[in-house]
Amino acid sequence: MYDRGNMKIVIFACIMIIMSIVMTSGISYFITHEAIIDKLKSRDMIYIIGSISAKIDGRIERAKEVALILATDPSIIQWVAGAEKDERLGDYAKEKITGIAQNYDYSNAFIVSNVTKHYWAEGSRQIDVISETNPAHDWFFTALHSDKAVNLNIDSNAMRGDTFVFVNALIKEQGKPLAITGVGLTLKDITQEFESYKVGKDSNLWLVDRNGKIHLSANVGDIGMYLNDFIIPETAAQIIGDEGNISTSSPKVIEYINQRGESIDLVYQTTKSTDWKLVYQIPRSESIAILSTIKVNAAIACIVSLVLIVFIFYFISHKIANPFKRAILLTQEMEKQVLERTQELYEKNQKIMDSIDYGQRIQESILPSTDELSSVFKEYFIIWKPRDIVGGDFYWTRKIDENQGLFVLADCTGHGVPGAFMTMAVNSILNHIVDEVYDNPAIIIQKLNKRVRETLHRNQSNRMADDGLDIGICYIDQRNRLLFAGAKISLIVKRADQVYHIRGDRKSIGYLSSNDDLEFTNNEWRVEEGDVFYLTSDGYIDQNGGEKDYSFGRKRFSQMIANQGESSLAQQQQALESMLYEYMGNESQRDDITVIGFSI
Amino acid sequence: MQILHIESTKSTPEIHFDPISNRMQIKGQSYPENAFKFYEPLLHWLDEYLQQLEQEVLVELYFNMPYINTSSSKCMMMMLEKLDEAYQSGKKVMILWYYDEDNETAMECAEEFKEDLLVPFQITKVEDSSQ
Repeated sequence: MYDRGNMKIVIFACIMIIMSIVMTSGISYFITHEAIIDKLKSRDMIYIIGSISAKIDGRIERAKEVALILATDPSIIQWVAGAEKDERLGDYAKEKITGIAQNYDYSNAFIVSNVTKHYWAEGSRQIDVISETNPAHDWFFTALHSDKAVNLNIDSNAMRGDTFVFVNALIKEQGKPLAITGVGLTLKDITQEFESYKVGKDSNLWLVDRNGKIHLSANVGDIGMYLNDFIIPETAAQIIGDEGNISTSSPKVIEYINQRGESIDLVYQTTKSTDWKLVYQIPRSESIAILSTIKVNAAIACIVSLVLIVFIFYFISHKIANPFKRAILLTQEMEKQVLERTQELYEKNQKIMDSIDYGQRIQESILPSTDELSSVFKEYFIIWKPRDIVGGDFYWTRKIDENQGLFVLADCTGHGVPGAFMTMAVNSILNHIVDEVYDNPAIIIQKLNKRVRETLHRNQSNRMADDGLDIGICYIDQRNRLLFAGAKISLIVKRADQVYHIRGDRKSIGYLSSNDDLEFTNNEWRVEEGDVFYLTSDGYIDQNGGEKDYSFGRKRFSQMIANQGESSLAQQQQALESMLYEYMGNESQRDDITVIGFSI
Repeated sequence: MQILHIESTKSTPEIHFDPISNRMQIKGQSYPENAFKFYEPLLHWLDEYLQQLEQEVLVELYFNMPYINTSSSKCMMMMLEKLDEAYQSGKKVMILWYYDEDNETAMECAEEFKEDLLVPFQITKVEDSSQ
């Protein structure tokens, strides 16, 4: 029973634990997943695009500064304004642009004069002559007339396989546009930086113009192709069509699903310095690749904790179950012992009871036989009920001759075995006394008092164990005379409907505290036909019961006797006994009960 | 001196002896198997108490005992004799005995006790007292 219940608990606990661990892991993974995606969109993508954008912008801003420095150099202005006549200034200017080109990582530096229409390039060379009719020179005139301090011109040179950004600064003198000077830089070096932003094999970084044409890419092969070649049309259109972004130049994050059904995250931003857009895209699967590691680790952690918990649980339950089991075994062991002891007690009790049972035979042996009683009385009944098999009450009779007889009722201290010892002693003493005197109950009691005291209290001075007896003695003369003396026991006589009490003297005998010189009174009764005599020890009177659990009482007893009327003695015995049982109810017998009724 | 208090049992009465208020109470039936064992401590306590009792102090003893078996009544007698001695030597002692009106045995018992004593002994009937 213990094992089955235990198993159920174990299984249930296991299920709970597994469920909770799996749920925790699942929820954690889910949260992490969402957090990563959120971070990707709101931070990582933006950071990447911003970073690249900043680099490009920085580069171009530097170029602008250089161009402006050239454009505001007084010597250069003077030289251009002087139609390049001053050779010294001319050398200065040419050295300047050469120096810039060489030392500062620009592919070219130039001065193009509207005055002379000369195109001066690095290396002190005049490489071209500007003419308004040449469409290739449109940039010059646009910049010249734009009145803007700086202009950018982005030029994809298919031949060179490169994209150049020309930063054109306007040289003015007294408000009149004179020339354009500036630097040109290749975006090829930026390409290398692009490559460093590639996170995975399917991520892309492009620099596209207003038409979506790719001018720079982390994959060199992409250059010259269009956004539409890589991205679904709707998204490409969205990016290209976003004019507003040109002014705000803030990063915009979107996502789309490509032809293969993959989710792609994309961020674009117009560069601050040009109106070209940076586009960075990365498949969702690559971004969250890290999650697969987390997933695996979480699963492992899950399994490890489960296994660990199983072990711990098993270990603990054993620690608990073992003492529990031991407690059960102990209880069983104890119960066995209790059973043994109960058996021992039962056997001991049996022995004692057997011994007392045997004692009963001995006590009963000292009681008078029916013959003896019949010889002293005409009719009689005896209710004899020791409380504990043997008792302290006993009755005694002696036939003197055909007319005279003695009857004694004695109530010795206590009940049970001690009482029975007393009866044996008193019985023996009584026998001896009556050998000496038989016709004087008072004297018999007096002598009994002395001799019992001698016998019982010879070696004692201890007042604590004081024992004695109450007694009632009837000297019966069949010629219609009865002599009664009592110590605490009274004689009741019923004549017709009247009940008479002949009280015994109010002193017990035999006690250490009894007076040796105690004297008792003989009461004489002239016997008439129909007289019935009753003697009772205090057992009946003191029996508790009834409504209030009080003693039966002398009054009630007398009343009962009076109510007997003319019933035979046998009937009266019945009546007395049933009255007693009725009154007793569930209460146990309190003392030895002896009631004797007789007629002579 | 300490208060002597013994809870009642099926066969012994409740004892409450209070030396501060000088009121002693015995209430309940008395039929223990060994009466001397039960009453001995009471008798010793009384000895001590009566010895230190001052002349002007009145001590009252309340008894309400529906049933007393023979050996218990011997011990009760010893107790009452001690109180009688104390009274005769000049101390102020009063015994108040209560019995239920339906319990004549208790009344008879009280009267028997009273017979041999000089100490003031008041026997009072109580109407329908519940235990």
